[in-house]
Amino acid sequence: METDLTLNHFLMISGLLFAIGLAGVLVRRNIIVIFMCLELMLAAANLSLVAFSRFGGENGMPNYDGQVLLFFIITVAAAEVAVGLAIIVALFRTRETTDVSDVTSMKN
Amino acid sequence: MPVFYLEIIVVVLGLVMLMVDAFVKLEDKRHIAWIGVLGLICVFFLLFKVEWPTTTESTFWKFYDHEEGTRGFSLFYKGIAVLCTIIVLIMGAEFRGVIQKYIAPPEPGAHPQSGLGEFFALPVFACAGLMWMASASNLVSIFVALETVTITFYVLVAYMRRNVGSLEAGVKYLILGALSTGFLVYGFTWLFGITGSMDLAEIKTALASENVNVAAALFAFGLIIVGLGFKVGAAPFQLWIPDVYQGAPTPITAFLSVASKSAGFIVLLRIAGCFLSSAYLSEKIGAVLVVIAILTLLYGNLAALPQKNFKRLLAYSSIAHAGFLLMALASPPGKSGGLNSPAVVISFYLGAYLLMTLLAFLVMTAVRNTQEDESVDAYAGLARRSPFLAFALLIAMASLAGIPLTAGFFGKFFVFKLAFENGASWILIAAGIIGAAAGFYYYLKIVASMYWAEGDDEADSISVSIPSKVTMVLLMIGILVAGVVPNAILSLLG
Repeated sequence: METDLTLNHFLMISGLLFAIGLAGVLVRRNIIVIFMCLELMLAAANLSLVAFSRFGGENGMPNYDGQVLLFFIITVAAAEVAVGLAIIVALFRTRETTDVSDVTSMKN
Repeated sequence: MPVFYLEIIVVVLGLVMLMVDAFVKLEDKRHIAWIGVLGLICVFFLLFKVEWPTTTESTFWKFYDHEEGTRGFSLFYKGIAVLCTIIVLIMGAEFRGVIQKYIAPPEPGAHPQSGLGEFFALPVFACAGLMWMASASNLVSIFVALETVTITFYVLVAYMRRNVGSLEAGVKYLILGALSTGFLVYGFTWLFGITGSMDLAEIKTALASENVNVAAALFAFGLIIVGLGFKVGAAPFQLWIPDVYQGAPTPITAFLSVASKSAGFIVLLRIAGCFLSSAYLSEKIGAVLVVIAILTLLYGNLAALPQKNFKRLLAYSSIAHAGFLLMALASPPGKSGGLNSPAVVISFYLGAYLLMTLLAFLVMTAVRNTQEDESVDAYAGLARRSPFLAFALLIAMASLAGIPLTAGFFGKFFVFKLAFENGASWILIAAGIIGAAAGFYYYLKIVASMYWAEGDDEADSISVSIPSKVTMVLLMIGILVAGVVPNAILSLLG
């Protein structure tokens, strides 16, 4: 199946995803939303890995190295969410907040 | 015994500790820490007995560094990880009272120390990740090892979950750690895209060839340096360090500042080495590293000057030492090996850094056990109350400041020697000198406070358990021996 899609299209979308994720982390105040944005950044990496793998292969075969890393990224992201949500729940129990601007008790 | 058995043994040790915690009825959960300490001491001696592969046909060796020239380094960094974990477990056993106070109150009928066992098992898993990272020669294994360590640290930093400081530190570390992972992975992706390989040796060849896409390679390096800069605490990515170090349980702060930093540096050495060996990239990459090194040196040392909280002071000190390490990395490598190569200088510095930082944290744990206060004032007059602890802290501070006859002196000396001989930029050297001078002030401030300030002389002397006393004595001996015969550490690097 021939399409007009090139590597650049995929990289553009992935760059956009990464930028949206990064902007969300920097701008939003709710920890859960920040966490979702972090996942978006990992998704951006996954998308470009698949694209590089598909377009970087030889003899019509993809370069499977990239796809191997992708599976590890998914696994690690799942572990990170499991631990992260537990910490956020513990924070909510003691402080009754999920707003990062309330998490500033440590100063000199 | 094949070399990768070491990591397997460490993981199994961690599992055994978890099982003991779950199924054996122990009066005192501290014994779990002793199991870990004994197991890791055995692993440490096994480091000298490893065998390297004769054939590297199997796929496994694509993921595990086995090059003739870097074997000594891998083992050296594995040794750092193991030693650091042993000392952290000893500190943790000492610190259990404070931990116990801030974890959930046990349910009726449960063990009074429930929840403490994992605190001793998790560092062992982190140790396995750190050891793997020392040998990772492939982007996939670097990523997985790094994340094993980072995710374990998320749990450990937030371990005292009834303590607001620890939780806050946990949340900050979680968000910024995950952010840096995002950058790092995106950088790896681009590196893979440019070179078509995950293997560092193949990446090195691809980057050195003349049809490398320079702009894309610089973009990839930028993303990777942001990610690794977070891990090692390089400016301008160091903002999380003071808060997280202050909030985390003291043994974990020590673990973060030594093990996590040294593992970050070996990854940085390997990846930056790929870029720096390419004639088309080395100049630009070198300039980026110089800027980062100058910023880190100035920020870490100058921001440490006004600190009142001892733990926070050590956090800034850890940034400052990252600055000296980056200074070595940013200096152009010399032709001959040995002390003319940044890798050897950085490894020596990290070895010395392990000894002195862990000694300082051991003393801090002992003092924290008897009083809530973590400020510098809490150390006033310590020399009259507990002469031994004060002397140990004196040695640690002298070494951190870089006074001759201590390991820290040779660490800094080799860094400056490397920078001078290989013609590093003079701004970098000037920043290093300013940093070292500022260091004298804030480290010796503590010493002055211990020996000359008026303190609460009525307070009882601080009792120290036998294992931590023995560790302190060994660390002091290590600092002084490496300060007189630096070859003792250098010979380990092969």
